[in-house]
Amino acid sequence: MSIEKGTLEIKALSKSFIVDGNPLQILNNINIVFPAGAFISIVGSSGCGKTTLLRIMLGLETQYEGDALIDGEKIVGPGLNRGIVFQDHRLLPWLTVGENVAFGLEKLKRKEKKLIVDEHLKLVGLSGFVSAYPSQLSGGMAQRVAIARALASKPEILLMDEPLGALDALTRMYMQKELERIWLFEKISMIMVTHDVEEAIYLSDKVVIMSSRPGIIKKIIDVPLPRPRDRASSAFMQIKAEILKEFHLETEYPFAYAI
Amino acid sequence: MSKSFIKHFQWKDKLLALIVPLLLLILWQSAGPLQLVSELILTPPLTLFHTLADLVGSGELTDNIIVSLQRVVIGFLVGASSGFILGIVMGLSPFLKRTLLPLVKSVQQVPEYAWMPLLIILFSVGELPKIIFIAIGAFYPMVFNTFQGISGVPKNYHELANVYNYKNYRYLTKVIIPGALPSIFTGIRLSLGLSWMFVVGAELFGCDSGIGYMMIWGRQMFQIDLVMSGLVVIGAIGFVLNFILEIIEKRLFSWRRSFEGGIA
Ligand SMILES: Nc1ncnc2c1ncn2[C@@H]1O[C@H](COP(=O)(O)OP(=O)(O)OP(=O)(O)O)[C@@H](O)[C@H]1O
Ligand SMILES: [Mg+2]
Repeated sequence: MSIEKGTLEIKALSKSFIVDGNPLQILNNINIVFPAGAFISIVGSSGCGKTTLLRIMLGLETQYEGDALIDGEKIVGPGLNRGIVFQDHRLLPWLTVGENVAFGLEKLKRKEKKLIVDEHLKLVGLSGFVSAYPSQLSGGMAQRVAIARALASKPEILLMDEPLGALDALTRMYMQKELERIWLFEKISMIMVTHDVEEAIYLSDKVVIMSSRPGIIKKIIDVPLPRPRDRASSAFMQIKAEILKEFHLETEYPFAYAI
Repeated sequence: MSKSFIKHFQWKDKLLALIVPLLLLILWQSAGPLQLVSELILTPPLTLFHTLADLVGSGELTDNIIVSLQRVVIGFLVGASSGFILGIVMGLSPFLKRTLLPLVKSVQQVPEYAWMPLLIILFSVGELPKIIFIAIGAFYPMVFNTFQGISGVPKNYHELANVYNYKNYRYLTKVIIPGALPSIFTGIRLSLGLSWMFVVGAELFGCDSGIGYMMIWGRQMFQIDLVMSGLVVIGAIGFVLNFILEIIEKRLFSWRRSFEGGIA
């Protein structure tokens, strides 16, 4: 069986960090396949290991038990086939917005670079900011630049860690539409961590629900709705209720978590 | 808060900074007439001004400044570049850091001027010991600040470089050095400042040219105005050097200006 490019597979993966000299288990027996071309969201309370899971798939964390495979091969480190939008925007402060977006395009010619940068800044609605510095951007603008940077290098798989977290509601909805459009157009795999259940349902083929201490996959919920999705439809609401139910069952103190 | 208020405030600050020096100048000028100090020992500012004008007119001052500046530039370049390279090497390699940093730190404990007798024994009295003396002074701020800058580049940026497959030269020039640049620049500023301070020191140890030499000569001839002219010129040039570097720094690090910093 040949595996389509853009497939990520996590098999029996457990991960511990050493905290104060003792191993602390963060992820416990994670099994999941992210099929090529799928849009999958991961939701779960703060600290349940979502970022850690993304970092493993990105190749920044390599100490764990179990397997993390990309296109059937063990992930040994980062690669240009995977793009990332970090939870912190992680723009380099000494580079302009344009230079930051071009960060993964070093090998291209000047003209090609400029073309790609302009195209992607337009995409995230920041065309006028090519020569601004990150210190002159708001948090939400910086996040959008980070999305542009990740997309510019045309990865097969785009990993996003709360990419729209700092955006206002309207820009957020606009960016969700854009992400969906890009995803449909580029046919790449997208894996997104989010705290916004509606956002997850709006965008994803599947929503992965994680729970914490140690992080496990609690449930994977299919979202078989036609696109573009209507947030007010009853099918949408039903899925939302189903996901929220998982969270409320998890603890006696529902207010204790920030989703 | 209005812009004019801020401007007004800065203007007032500048005025305040001038009051004490002006009072000192007046006191200095009147010290002789008031018979506080003999004018032979403390040359009054106006006389000093004439001496300076004469020195400039005869070309003597300019010649000496040029000689001293040459020594500074060479000593600074040698010392700062070796400090820069060693700082980078130690910043990049934990192994070399562990091997070299303790050594650099302990040698640094030797007071700068304690090197001079040894340097003179080793290299006699030519240009070489002076250059080395200045280079030693320029070396330390550069090595420590470069090292600190490099090891202070956030882990996040290293990860980003790793994700985008930045390696070797590209990694060094696009991520590590820019990340360390503010600290490196502090090193350059301190280093150049010390070079300028130490050139005068170097010239006090036997020499036949330079600002320091001019002052020694003045002392031997009991021409206090010459000694004091030297002091004024040293201060002024040090000030100008620092000023130029500050301007370059501002330009270089315009990216640091945030919304808050942009008001003034
Ligand atoms: N390098 C590390 N060393 C030790 N512990 C770590 C390390 N990185 C993460 N952890 C711990 O692992 C757990 C999961 O962290 P992670 O960042 O993956 O959570 P998260 O689900 O992304 O949370 P959030 O929603 O707040 O971003 C946390 O308890 C965190 O303290
Ligand atoms: Mg996280």
